[in-house]
Amino acid sequence: MRKGTIRAYGYVMPIAVILIVFVVVSVGISLILSFTQYNILSPPRLNGLSNYKRILTDTKFATAMANTLKIMIYVVPLQTVLSVGVAALIASRKNTILGKLAGIVIFIPVLSSSAVVGTLWKAILTGHIAAIDSFFSLFGVQTSMLLGDADTALLVVAMVMVWKSLGYYTVINIAALTGISPNYYEAAKADGAGRWQRFCHITLPMLKPTLILDVFLGIIASLQCFDIIYNLTGGGPANGTTTLVFYAYELCFKSSRAGYAMAVANVLLLLLLIMAAAQKRFMKREVSQI
Amino acid sequence: MKKKVVSLLLCFVLAAGLMAGCQSKTEGKDSGKKETLSVWLPPLDDNTEKNYVPLLDAFEKENNCEIDVQLIPWGSYEEKYLTAINAGKGPDIGYMYAEMFPTYIDAGAVANMEKYLSKEDYEEYIYLKSGQMMGGTYGFPFVTGVPFIMYYNQDILDSIGEKAPETWEDFKRICEKATKDTDGDGQIDQYGYAAGFNSGDMSPLYLLNSYYYSLLWQTGSDIYNDDLKSVKFNNKTGIEAVEYLKSLAPYMPKDYMSLASADAFSNVFGGGHAAFASARSKQAESESFQKTYPNLNWNYVTSLKNKQYGTFGAVDSLTLMSACKNKELAMKLIKYMAGPKVMTAYHKISFGAPLTKNEPYQGNQKMERILTSDRGKWRQLQVGPCGSDILSNLSSQLQAVMSGKSTAKKALDDAADYANGLLDEYWAGKE
Repeated sequence: MRKGTIRAYGYVMPIAVILIVFVVVSVGISLILSFTQYNILSPPRLNGLSNYKRILTDTKFATAMANTLKIMIYVVPLQTVLSVGVAALIASRKNTILGKLAGIVIFIPVLSSSAVVGTLWKAILTGHIAAIDSFFSLFGVQTSMLLGDADTALLVVAMVMVWKSLGYYTVINIAALTGISPNYYEAAKADGAGRWQRFCHITLPMLKPTLILDVFLGIIASLQCFDIIYNLTGGGPANGTTTLVFYAYELCFKSSRAGYAMAVANVLLLLLLIMAAAQKRFMKREVSQI
Repeated sequence: MKKKVVSLLLCFVLAAGLMAGCQSKTEGKDSGKKETLSVWLPPLDDNTEKNYVPLLDAFEKENNCEIDVQLIPWGSYEEKYLTAINAGKGPDIGYMYAEMFPTYIDAGAVANMEKYLSKEDYEEYIYLKSGQMMGGTYGFPFVTGVPFIMYYNQDILDSIGEKAPETWEDFKRICEKATKDTDGDGQIDQYGYAAGFNSGDMSPLYLLNSYYYSLLWQTGSDIYNDDLKSVKFNNKTGIEAVEYLKSLAPYMPKDYMSLASADAFSNVFGGGHAAFASARSKQAESESFQKTYPNLNWNYVTSLKNKQYGTFGAVDSLTLMSACKNKELAMKLIKYMAGPKVMTAYHKISFGAPLTKNEPYQGNQKMERILTSDRGKWRQLQVGPCGSDILSNLSSQLQAVMSGKSTAKKALDDAADYANGLLDEYWAGKE
């Protein structure tokens, strides 16, 4: 083996060891345990494909899957559109105090822990705060009812997720926007293009690779949503906000059915792998086109 | 060269870190050290750390040992036990409720206490037989005698010319009369029944404790069939119980689905805005409740009656964990913890039913009949396999009914299908 190759392996080894120990081995164990009946306390017992067969008839799994997909549908488009809009606004005022302040303020929820965010919103939405209640009543909404209905509770979870992660995607988009050469805009201006036309025909096409990244990161994050739900709704009411990750957690730690929980988690893993592969493919195509 | 050294160093640090993580814990086993018994408890009252834990100091001195009491919040209670016991880091003495036991007994994680108990113990500890389950004595009753009762606001009942309810019909009639707009602003501000179907910081099982078991048992039904191989809560009378609960929804606060059950009691009932509330019999005796609502004129009925009386009274127990090294000492501590000396002192601070023959009743006199003439009106939950799972799902289905997403029959049938599937799997594994 060449000396350079050995050195290269040396550099890669630390992260490779971490990935193997904490990711590959964990996934492998989860895969093996998904073919067993395992309650965490007693040794696992092989039960073949029973866990996966059960998934097919488990109505709670179907509810959790539907909720996960609904959250994704609520979160991803809204988050992407809002973050592009906010990024464009901030980027166009990046040298003003207001622009700089907005860039900082919008990132604060990203830095907050999800547990804090969940608890905070729970207090806001169930705490009978007069100002908040009055604000929502303008739209005919009674604040304290929001978390009590399965449909609105899921929507609230999605909105809180958007609120928390908006800053993250905005920062990504600002970075992409500032990378677009001003020459394009000047040339378009000279040709008489208006602000909207410049946005549609220059900004958006140039942002396409970043938007693909935003969308796929958003999809992956919404598929993995757990901590906000744990703190905000506890999966209720009536399993209305139970997602796949939350269901796997409940199965494992509340019902002591770790084997089945692993099977549920592996279905989620499969979804995530498909998303990651799709993202890679899209990104590769975009980069080659550019 | 420098890079090579740095990368080698990094590899070494990583490897050392991994080794350290895998190393077995052998330090701290100094033979000269005092023996430590670890005890895991949930919060027993508003301030268990101050009210209960110091009462164990005398035991430490008498037995030259240390007691490490950890208070585990209800929200993550089972999770903490499962993960810790799996990692071999569980306590010596635990605290479990009925739904928890089967999994831990099956796994051999809790020890049978029978050989450490004498005839005198059975005479002294009056609820000890309630700790017998699945062929052994796995629980040592520690918190019991405080069932979920139906509180009522005497002033509201007086204002509508009613007396304390006895039957379901009485209850519903009074709820209907009590639900009204008292200040004339067009909004209902007084409710019949202060109920909340959000479990809040408590386990979802708390909803069943508060609102469901009593009605189910009053119809004569139960959770499991006697052989524990299937459930029966979806039979005709089980459906009747849930339909009755649903029929009370118009008399509950408008936001009853998002209102936490604990808040329904403390804020709505405590605030004098409801005729009735269901809560544990020590709830109104808590320091914070009494301080917040000193003028609330409340009273209670232990249980309503339909076909029979019935309400839920938990028997939460201390457990001797199988992994405990010194079981004799741990059993001595368990008896001490539930014994007359500690409990007489503790129940003086925080109300609770006497656990032993030698402990005097120190609570509010009007609550004493729960333990005497009304003793037959409350009981503990059946201990059956897959309890937590079956009941958590049942709790979700109950929420679905109350929120109008499902009917009583469909929700209970779905919950029963789910439960029977689990039980089939459980018993198949036993054969």
